[in-house]
This record gives sequence, structure tokens and C-alpha cells, in this order.
Amino acid sequence: MTVSPDVSLPEGLLTTPGAHASAPFATPGPVGPCVRGLGDPGSLLLAGAPAGAGGGGLDGHLDTWGALPGVDGAGVRALLRASALDGRGGGGFPLARKVETARLAVGHPVVVINASESEPASRKDRTICAERPHLVLDGAALVAVALGVDEVVLHLHRSPDSAAPALTAAIAERGLRGVADPRWRVSAGPDRYVSGESSAVASFVDGGDARPLFTTQPLATIGPSGRPTVVTNAETVAHLAVIARIGPDAWYAHGVPSSPGPRLVTVTGAVPHPGRVLELSGSSTIGDVLEADGLPAPPAAVLVGGFAGTWVFGDEAWQTPFTRDALRCVDAEPGCGLLGVLPHGACPLVETARIVRYLAGESAGQCGTCVAGLPRLAGACEDLASGGLRRRGVRRMSALGDTVLGSGACGHPDAVVRLIRSMLSVFEDDVTRHLAGSPCRGADHPPVLAVPHADLVVGRDDQREWT
Amino acid sequence: MSATIRIDPILCRGHAICALFFSDGVDLDQWGFGKVAVAVVDNPRDLRRARRAAAACPNGAFVVAERVATPSVRA
Repeated sequence: MTVSPDVSLPEGLLTTPGAHASAPFATPGPVGPCVRGLGDPGSLLLAGAPAGAGGGGLDGHLDTWGALPGVDGAGVRALLRASALDGRGGGGFPLARKVETARLAVGHPVVVINASESEPASRKDRTICAERPHLVLDGAALVAVALGVDEVVLHLHRSPDSAAPALTAAIAERGLRGVADPRWRVSAGPDRYVSGESSAVASFVDGGDARPLFTTQPLATIGPSGRPTVVTNAETVAHLAVIARIGPDAWYAHGVPSSPGPRLVTVTGAVPHPGRVLELSGSSTIGDVLEADGLPAPPAAVLVGGFAGTWVFGDEAWQTPFTRDALRCVDAEPGCGLLGVLPHGACPLVETARIVRYLAGESAGQCGTCVAGLPRLAGACEDLASGGLRRRGVRRMSALGDTVLGSGACGHPDAVVRLIRSMLSVFEDDVTRHLAGSPCRGADHPPVLAVPHADLVVGRDDQREWT
Repeated sequence: MSATIRIDPILCRGHAICALFFSDGVDLDQWGFGKVAVAVVDNPRDLRRARRAAAACPNGAFVVAERVATPSVRA
């Protein structure tokens, strides 16, 4: 018999930050909105010199942060609760609850740090692993302490720009310097979109395919190995390493109640520095982030939260704080922290069609409705973008979306439907213009968002290896 | 006595046999892949149908997880 994680939590697990009386840390005031880049003063995760200037080494790390304070398992769990640290891989699930569920479940837990970052345009996990590997490893070691395990798996994708070399070098350096660490196991999986999903990661780490599983219970209760499995994002554990140093309250003060702590975002598309990672605090707006990268005025639209995110009208996005509550008001979620900027003059329908075609080709090929439905949705989006669809075709596309929604073992098909729905509602005028057969104002605009395999007309029907 | 019914979308191959046995419990899409319409079955007639649907599925995708009634704490 299994109890849901909500029920199995002991009293006081979800206490509000600041409720712990015996904190050895000073209680700071809230941090105002600010956006910082790598090495900028005031930043937390990105503090210190760049990796090239020695910031990635253990000495640079210790200069910036000092040694990791000795905490026991209960201490780490208290830090997790007090900080309300939420997962930064896209789900936003509180790490305290994952850890607590795994601790109370039957069996010795498996801990996996997910640094695969399969979102093609996202760079935050790669950046934090390459520039601040010791922060990630410190945090991973703390999760191991919280669960009393002696091995941690670091999972990455086999991509050309993988942060595996930086992490392996950091592990070797720590070994030589005698840092008290768990055993590290670096795992390199296939570079596919759905392979970064937590159950796919858990499956791969257990020796199976890097494809999502149909789960009826949380992985933290029982993973594919039969043991409770905690899969958590690399940025998330890096935050934990900071929390252990500055205290949960000081960390929490960098955020707002719906989005505690500072967060990393990646800007991409029509921005001065595509692929740049920024750290933001407080109720910084999307406009603040884009301005920090050098964009002077609101763009046409912003794709918020990754390819599996939603479109937000540019003027609206500019004013919207990048926090869970504020984004919900514009039907968006922080997701993996990606902000894809669509310039004026580009066609949003073309951009969406390219993304949907890519995502359709990235289906794991497991669930029937996803396999059959996503290519059709992609075709409909392409027809709409090229002016070959009438009002009835749009209605049919929406109906197909309703069918596809909730049909898969993972959230992949749902994400595609949400993206299409947001396109249809945010770009209503563009849709109408395309239906009327008026010339598209973005017909000659070069592609904006870097979509992998965009040269392929059809999705990848080759089911490349998943191992 | 109640049971939770689930269709494993990875195992489902769209034979749609479950819908023959338990038509109100399953929504089929245009390809024959099923989604459960009612997640919890608590009357004996539907439970019987759900069990038949589970037994008939050639892929074992239709799962009936029966819950044994626990004695109520309140008298």
C-alpha cells in the first residue's frame, strides 16, 4: 500500500521559511529585482571569476564560498524545508518533498543529478556545470547526506557541448584534495529531447532505455530499479550548496513566495547574446532580463519556458515578473527558464511550426496517440504557416489537440498541444491573416529560434538508439 | 470494494477491445488508443466489466488495481 506524498509527510515539513528558530544565519531583508551575469557582483550561483580565469577550480570555488559547512542528514533536510527550494528542471517540484518521500519509502534511495538539459536552446545547466562544477558537486553531496547514500549519479547527454569534461575534472580535483564526497558516477545518455525527462533518466541510469516510463507512483517512492529514486536538476542542487553557506533565509530573500530564491534563465532568439545565462532576483520582469542582455524595447513575442513552453505577447511579457505566480497570469510557467525572443517582422506561426515539427520527431515512439498525433499536428501547423489552412482546418487541429492532450506516459504530447494553443490565442491576428491568404509579413524573415534538425522536412522517423 | 483503472499508454496498441467490454469506462481516440474515462470504479457491475476488459487486452495495458476496503476507523 502506498500513501500519496502529501499524506506521508511528517508534521511541519512545509513550514514557511523563517519558521526555524535556531538558525545560525542572519535574517536579511528581501532582495529587490536585479539581473546579473556571470561574475557580476551580487550574484550567487554565478559569483566569482569565470572558469577560464580559475573560477571553475576548487581554489576559486573555496575563495568565493569557503568550505562546505558540516551538516548531517536532518540538517540538510531542514535547509531544504526552510528554503522551500523548488526543482529547476521544469517541474518546479519542491526538493524537500522529493527527499522526504524517498526517505520514507522502502529501499535504499538512488540519487541522480540531472544535468542533461535536453532543451536545445537552454544553457543554464551546462553553464553552471562548466563554470561552477564545485557548486553542483557540493549540492549533490548534500542531497546524498540528506538521504544517507554513498553514491550519486551525474547524468548528462552525449552532446558536443556537454559539461562532462568540466565535471570530471572537478571530481578528480576533489579526489586529490581529499574532499569528503560520495562516490560519483558520471552517466552519459543519448542526446534526445525526451531523454532528459526524469523517468527517462531514471530508466537509463538503471540500465534501460532513455525513454520515459509509465509511472503510477512517484519515482521518489519507487523507481525502475525498485528503489526510491530522486532525480533532481543540476541548477537545483547548486542552489542547495549556496543555501548551506548563506542560510535558507538569505537565499529565500532573493525570490518571492511563489518562486523562492534566485533563478537562472537562458535568453535566446533575437537577443544580442543568444545562449547567455543570467541570474535574477526578486520580482525582476522578463523586460529586465532582456534589457540586461541589451534588448532596448519589447519584442513581438517571447516564448517562455522552453520549446515545451508558451508564447506571451511581447509588451505583456516585458511587464511580467519571471515568477511562478506572475507567469501564471499570462498562461506561462518558468519551465526550464528559457526566454525565446521573437522580433518584430518574424512570423510566429512559422517559428511555432518549426518547433512543433522538431518536437514531433522527438517523440519517444512509445505511446500511440503521440506517435500518430504529433506529426499531424506538425503538418497542420505547417499548413497554417504556409497559408494552406482554412478556418475548418484550425478547428480540426484544435480537436486533434484535445485528443492528444493527456494521452501519453510523459508530458511531451501535452506540451506540444499547449504550445499550439498559446500560438492560436496569442497570435490570433496572424492566424486570421494566414487564413485569409494575405501575404505573411514574416515570409522573408530568416529563422529566429535555433531548432535542431530544422533542415529536415519530415520528423526523424529513424528511431535512433535510446541507450 | 473499489478499483482504480488505468491504461498504460506505452503498452496500448489500439486494439480497442477494452471498449467492447467496458464502453462507458474508456474513451477511444480516432486511432483506437484508449484513455480511461472514469479512473475509479466502485460498483460491482462496472468492476466486473473492467476486469473483463483487463483480461481481454492482448497487451496487458488495461490495468485494474483493486483496493481492499480497509475497516473504517470511525465506528
